[in-house]
Amino acid sequence: MLNFILSRMARAVMTLVMVMSFAFIVMRLSGDPATILLGPDAPQDAIDAFRARWGLDDPLWKQYLAYIAQIFTFDFGISMRDQMPALDIVLERIPATLAITLPAMILKLGIGIPAGVYAALHRESIADRGVITLSIFGFTIPSFVLALVLVLIFSVQLGWLPSGGQDSWQHAILPIVTLSVGGIGIMARFSRSAMIEVLGQPYIRTAMAKGLSWRDVVWKHALPNASVPIVTLVGFMVGALIAGAAVVESIFSWPGVGRLIVSSVANRDLAVVQCLLLVIASSMVAANLLVDIAYGLLDPRLRSKRSAH
Amino acid sequence: MLINRRRTLGLIGAAAAGSLILPYRLRAQGARRSITISVQKITNNNTLDIWYEQSNVGERAFFPNLWEGLIDRDWMGNQGPVPALATEWKRLDDQTIELKLRQGVKFHNGDEMTAEDVVFSFSDERVFAGTEPVGGKTLYAENFKPQSAKELPASVPGVGRRLWPALRGVEAVDKYTVRFHNATPDVTLEGRLYAYGSQITSKRAWDEAATYADWARQPITTGPYKVEEYRPEVSLVLVAHDEYWGGRPPLQSIRFVEVPEVASRVNGLLSGEYDFACDLPPDQIPTVQEAPGLEVQSSTIWNHRISVFNTQNEIVANPLVRRAMTHAIDRQAIVDALWAGQTKIPAGIQFESYAASDMFIDGWTVPEYNPELARDLLKQANYKGDAIPYFLLNNYYTNQTATGQVLTEMWQQAGLNIEIQMKENWDQIFAGQGERGVRDWSASNNINDPITPMVTQFGPNGQSQQYKEWTNEELNKLSVVLETSTDHATRKKAYARMLEIAEREDPVYTLLHQNAVFTGMKSELKWKAAPAFAMDFRAGNWHI
Repeated sequence: MLNFILSRMARAVMTLVMVMSFAFIVMRLSGDPATILLGPDAPQDAIDAFRARWGLDDPLWKQYLAYIAQIFTFDFGISMRDQMPALDIVLERIPATLAITLPAMILKLGIGIPAGVYAALHRESIADRGVITLSIFGFTIPSFVLALVLVLIFSVQLGWLPSGGQDSWQHAILPIVTLSVGGIGIMARFSRSAMIEVLGQPYIRTAMAKGLSWRDVVWKHALPNASVPIVTLVGFMVGALIAGAAVVESIFSWPGVGRLIVSSVANRDLAVVQCLLLVIASSMVAANLLVDIAYGLLDPRLRSKRSAH
Repeated sequence: MLINRRRTLGLIGAAAAGSLILPYRLRAQGARRSITISVQKITNNNTLDIWYEQSNVGERAFFPNLWEGLIDRDWMGNQGPVPALATEWKRLDDQTIELKLRQGVKFHNGDEMTAEDVVFSFSDERVFAGTEPVGGKTLYAENFKPQSAKELPASVPGVGRRLWPALRGVEAVDKYTVRFHNATPDVTLEGRLYAYGSQITSKRAWDEAATYADWARQPITTGPYKVEEYRPEVSLVLVAHDEYWGGRPPLQSIRFVEVPEVASRVNGLLSGEYDFACDLPPDQIPTVQEAPGLEVQSSTIWNHRISVFNTQNEIVANPLVRRAMTHAIDRQAIVDALWAGQTKIPAGIQFESYAASDMFIDGWTVPEYNPELARDLLKQANYKGDAIPYFLLNNYYTNQTATGQVLTEMWQQAGLNIEIQMKENWDQIFAGQGERGVRDWSASNNINDPITPMVTQFGPNGQSQQYKEWTNEELNKLSVVLETSTDHATRKKAYARMLEIAEREDPVYTLLHQNAVFTGMKSELKWKAAPAFAMDFRAGNWHI
């Protein structure tokens, strides 16, 4: 297991280096931050001074080496726009994003998985069809459409909830609902499919034939086996906790990481974009690593295969 | 306590009576209203520094509520100069102006504003960072040595020198008198004093701030409202500065909230959460106007939308082709269709506020819409229908893409083959020097004199000539006249001729329309929009 984790961690570091290099090159080739940040009316003196201050007039390889050297000393640079450490700016936004993505995640799991399992256990019933219909609705409606419809109903028409901002817990309700609806639908459909597949397996028939109760069959045999593919999906969702709410954050004026991505990319605020990508890529890599470890815990066969290797 | 129907009705009645009486009691106690304004952006650079945040959105957050100059722009009047932190000023010669400071003006930190603060506000430490003035040396350099470890944003000295290219220094004559010394004769010194950037900050507050970022997020100024909290990309809260020299401000607080999506700003206004929703596109005007209790105010601003020609493109190099392009545009159709008729077509690249200094050229207009003339000019140019690339950004300016498409259609109607190429940013726009035939831009009036934008944008050091898009020897000579002559008639004559060159004979740009902004608001507020991005919440513009 230790070898497995170490090899995965080595791959994770390689992934991060590749992401950072790719981001570095793309950001520099797609536009000069001086012209973009200072605007079309900036005098040439100001543009030249800006380039000199931020080392943009150095050759690309020199900028790259300086950047890599910085990263290895955990120095993520200074924001060209805010004149503040990029890491501080990014870390300041993470709690706001997690404040809506974590509750949304809990709703996705807490509603989506039971609904899917229930539908699978009552296949072809009205409840099953209801779950399928609602889940299709959930994951097909674009989040920006759902967000605006919710605002029109609950803010403009009923006046029950605020339409945007971050002033109170009520402000988080509509963003959380918007974020969770699609995930609930996906999770319900995925759980249903996984359970239906497991329930058709010979070991389920064997368990029933040896006289186990239906409850025991479901809890001890069906659910653990169905959870492997579900964990994969959960892994993706965990990875998207930090960066997966950009659209919703924009519509609800929620000051999280998603809005920071949009504004810092638009302004070519290189240090902030690079720091953001490193944090996001790290969270994705960490989520994948956890999923791999979870596979081993859930399925003893995978553990023994790894040991054999 | 027993809750029965009678008691419940009694409680409801008491609550209702209380809700009616309470506002009157609050008013009697001098309680003031607080307002919330939703905007697309609070600032672009996440600071509240006038020299760093030189943008339209910055103007809205800064003026006239936070920052003030020695002379101010008459925001609700003719946009000309009015006394502010200086009560009077006089010319000592064509290079020097002396100003008497208003006494008893208090900064937000309680300090009295003196000549020392004015000197500091135009110092190397605050703005110029050791850059030398055009045509001379810095005066009083020893006064401007940095006293703290603050590093100015790299762009600030360049921006400062654009507005004050020849300022040698500011002299504190006594506690309440300052002199501005210019290296060259300049008739626009007064205009520069009320331009965006020339406002005054407290020297002590700067010295006490640990870093530039700390200072720039809570600058100490003299305006009627002071910064209580600034959360970049989230909100800016200004609260009343009750020691304001112009009297007690009428509002308790002004809260700007950043709401990037226009639909969200409109929804927040409709639901009553916001008192104002700014940056509405013209197509949202009916939605707001039709809602009960709401209205839309439009403001034309000191900014004209133009399209700029690039004579490095061999087809566009021919002035006949450019002239044809200027005559093929039905500008009124654009204003009617895309702006709901809510803006206007100015008299060339002029601004009506030039009239304050008698520099407005009466009788001048944009080129007439005449497709026949355009076709004839193309025939004279022997134009064969080769494609002319039009580099276009996706709505950097309001309605930009739609306007670009309309323009292309109009040009094609006249026989021009214009090919739109969408670009992502300004760097990509300027990258295609030899290929680009036309691009979009806007022209701003910064010092309320024809120098801006004619000389600053199209003169020898303007961006258009720096990027080698166009040049004209006569216009360059006239630029010097306009910048240095102190004879009014000579300057006005030079400007009139420059308009003829730049807009008719050898066009460098073609003007489309004046830019405008639209603000949705609660009608009960009875507030009036200034012809600017700035939102005036001083006593004279607040009536409830």
